[in-house]
This record gives sequence, structure tokens and C-alpha cells, in this order.
Amino acid sequence: MALNVPEGSLFGFLGPNGAGKTTTIRVLLGFLRPSSGRAAIFGKDCWRDTRQIKADIGYVPGDLRLPSWINGRKALSIFSSVRGRDMVRHGSELAEALSLDLSVKVRRMSRGMRQKLGLILAMAHRPRLLILDEPTSGLDPLMQDVVREQLRGLSRAGTTVFFSSHTLSEVDALCDRVAIVRQGRIVADSTLAELRRQAGHEVMIRWRREAEPPVPEFLAINTREPRVWHATLKGEVEPLLRWLAGHPVEDLMIGRPDLETLFKRYYERSER
Amino acid sequence: MNFGLMRKAAIELRGTTIVFGLAMMAGCGLLGFALPRFQARIMQRMAEMPFLQEMRSAMLGADLGNASGPEVPFGIAWSHPVLLAILWAHGIICCTRMPAGEVDKGTIDVVLGLPVSRWQLYVSETVVWLGSAAIVLAMALAGSLIGMRLAPPEMRPELSRLLIVIANLFLLYASVAGMAWLMSSLSDRRGRAVTVVLIVAVSAFLLNYLALLWPAAKRVQFLSILHYYRPVFPLRDGRWPVGDMAALGAVAAGLWAAGGVVFSRRDLSTL
Repeated sequence: MALNVPEGSLFGFLGPNGAGKTTTIRVLLGFLRPSSGRAAIFGKDCWRDTRQIKADIGYVPGDLRLPSWINGRKALSIFSSVRGRDMVRHGSELAEALSLDLSVKVRRMSRGMRQKLGLILAMAHRPRLLILDEPTSGLDPLMQDVVREQLRGLSRAGTTVFFSSHTLSEVDALCDRVAIVRQGRIVADSTLAELRRQAGHEVMIRWRREAEPPVPEFLAINTREPRVWHATLKGEVEPLLRWLAGHPVEDLMIGRPDLETLFKRYYERSER
Repeated sequence: MNFGLMRKAAIELRGTTIVFGLAMMAGCGLLGFALPRFQARIMQRMAEMPFLQEMRSAMLGADLGNASGPEVPFGIAWSHPVLLAILWAHGIICCTRMPAGEVDKGTIDVVLGLPVSRWQLYVSETVVWLGSAAIVLAMALAGSLIGMRLAPPEMRPELSRLLIVIANLFLLYASVAGMAWLMSSLSDRRGRAVTVVLIVAVSAFLLNYLALLWPAAKRVQFLSILHYYRPVFPLRDGRWPVGDMAALGAVAAGLWAAGGVVFSRRDLSTL
């Protein structure tokens, strides 16, 4: 797996369950030793120099569990002692932004509240790199927007945000770069714009009559219903428009594919 | 060492320390009060039933014949199975917290995500455990001293001799704790680590006990850590059992260090 994450980017790490997202993150954080090869962050080895690396990292695990006796205020205080940096002030600001009461003990928190506390503890020391494993799971849609805004703000301030997800709409809304992982291998690593450009246009044509014309070379039909084609356009739009001008078209949609379509396509391609 | 981690561990062990400290204090106080008081009656019963004398020898780890000084009741008190069980339970609870307990609770990812090395984690936890053990043993000593005040003056051992026993007892306790550190480092399940340590500790106890009654077991008695803890001798002679303490210290340090090496090298994450 060769993966380069540009500094300051919002990087989405995509893959279905079991693809190796969490394992990759655990290798990056020095929880697991790579069976072969080398993982490095900030140019340092993730296993050997894990302590130095983690001083500049914030991390929220996928299945976040915190000690049940702790409350937000105490957690910030203890994490400050461990990190040797004041996290209380910025942590309190983040708690206000995320509407989290820091006096509530973890044992009394809902999953969403625990997730918020995890995010606060990961962000309060202003890390250079934020690693998030499914960061918005358990949050309501409004709070997801708040978290996304926080992450965008961090990215604008120069923090690299690396997060794994299988919520494709979230990655689509947030990331400027993605990697798709399948069975521990990267099958795509690019900007979303580039992935979309490579994927071509998605086309939907509704014919006015039952009698349909023969399929031209520049169209790859994905699904075909009576009078309706769903296809992928190979190349530019202009030849399609010229060809359609001579045929009885009732309705037409041309657009770049959404991330879900791209994701499925990469998976199908790598399976073949 | 890391102050923040020590603070977290100290908060988590606060309740355990108080409960076990009070239990040791009550146990030592009760035995320190009761055993000297009933010494004469116990001696009389032993004269009537020689088997009781063998039981006493097995418990003390030495045959004292008809000795009846303060070393006998306090030797029995400080090697009483109930007190050893309380003390070992404290050690096993404290020393299987990291990493097996954290993996079990699912909190290991958060702890390992902090900028600390595994050795820092291990040493920080160890320091807090040592502090907790010191409090528990101090409370045991306090209980014993309170109990002693109610015993007849001729049945009270010197404080300096009691301190030697406590030092020896600490090393015995540390050997069990060392085993707990190692098992915890090797396992992802706290229950599994606790079970293995309990089996080893109970086996050591039984072996030491059997060795005085069964000659075949005597040949392998040196394998039992209890063979190196015989409080009756320092209570009687006031001499430091240097050899026994060195053996226990080596076992404890070796097991603890092995646990640290395993912990620092193995793959670890929430299951």
C-alpha cells in the first residue's frame, strides 16, 4: 500500500467493512507493527518513533470508548497532563461549539455525546494531523454539519485531516482527496475532481418512441429499460450532443458521477 | 513515567486501594489481637492432637516444636491464607489493568493514541501500583499494631522485626504481581490473565503446604514462592532473610521486565 497524504488536505480513506481501513490507521498510530514495509508520518517511522509522531496527532477511534468515571473537564485536564500542553481552554471552546456539557460523566453520555468528547480530545491540542475513524457516526445530521465545519476550519488552518468512512456523501461533501482501499490495497488515490474526470460523464437518455437507435461507440450502456438508457460517456460531450440532434430525444441528463457511483465502479473494476 | 497517566491510574485505583487496605487492616488487627490471646489454648490443643502441630508447621513453613513466643501467633497471622489471598487479589487486580484490562474495556486505543511510549505507560502504571501496594501494606501494619496493643506485653514482637516481615511479604506479593504483569501483557483478556495467575499462586500455596506433609513434594518445594517467605524466623531472630528476599526479588523483577518487553513489542488494539 503506497499512500501519500498532502499536508493540509482533507483526505478521505474509503472502503467497505473489512477492507483494511482501521488496520491501516492502527499501523499509522503504532498499535500494530507492519508485517512488511514501512509506515511513516512527518517523515518518521510509525512504529519506532510513535511517541514523537503522536505528539502532533489527534485520533478518534471508530469504536470510541472512554473510562466511564471521567467527565469532559477531567478528561481535558488529564490529557493536558499527558501531552504537556494546555488543552482545557481550546477544549472548552470546542465543547461550546459542539454543545457538549463537560461536567457530564461518560457513563451518563449518549453515543453522540461520547463521540463529541472524543473529537474535542482529539482536536483540543491543535494537532498537525487529525486521524478519524468514522468520525460522525452516532451524531445527528445537524451536529454532523457542525463537525464538518470544524474539520474544514482545521484544514484551512493547515491541519491535515485523514479520515476513514463508508458514508460516501460525507466524504463527497468534505474531502478534496480520497483513496479507495480494497483488501489492504489502494485501488484509487486522487482528488475527487480527477476521479470524476477519469470516470467520464453519466448519461441518461429518454427516447420519445419505442424504436431506439443503435448504440454509438462513445456510449457504454450500464442499464437499459424500455425507452430509457443509463450509460457512461467515453470522451467529450460534443459528439454525443451532435449524435442526439438526429434522434427523437424526450429527456436528457448529463453529469459527473457521484462518489457512490465512482466507488462502486472502482470496486467492480478491481474485482475483474 | 508520565504524570498524566499516573494521575489517571491513581484515580482508577483509589477505591481498590482503600477497600483492600481496610480489609488488610481489619484482618491483621483481628489476628494480631486474637492469636496471642488464645496462644495458650492453641498450644494445649496441639499437644492433644499432633496433627494440628503439622498443620501449624505447614502454615509457618517451619517446624518450631513447642515454641510459644510471639513469633508463633504473629508468624501465623502474617502467613494466614486469608491475608495472603487479599493481598494477592489486590496485586492481580492492579497489575492486570494494563494492557489486558484496557483491551477488555475497549479503552486501549485511546490510551495508545496518546504521545507516550509503551514503556512509559508500563512504568507509570507500575509506580501507581507500587504506591497502592505501599498504602495497603501500611494499613496492614497499622492494623497489626492496633491488634498488638491489646495483646499481653510479652506476646508483642518488636516493630523492627515486623518491618522485616513486611519487606519479605512485599517481595512475595511482588512476585505474584510480576506474574500478573506478564500474563496481562501476553493476553487480550483480563479474565484469562487473572485465571492463570490465580492457578499459579494457588499451586504455589498448595505445593508449599504439601511439602511439609509429603516428602515427594519437598524435592520441588523450591519452585513455590512461599518457600521464600517464612515470617516466623525474622520474628524470632530479628535477622533479614537475605537469600529468600533476593530470590523473590529476582522472580518479581524478572517477570515484571518480561511483561514490559512483551508489552512494548506486541500488536495491541481494541478487539
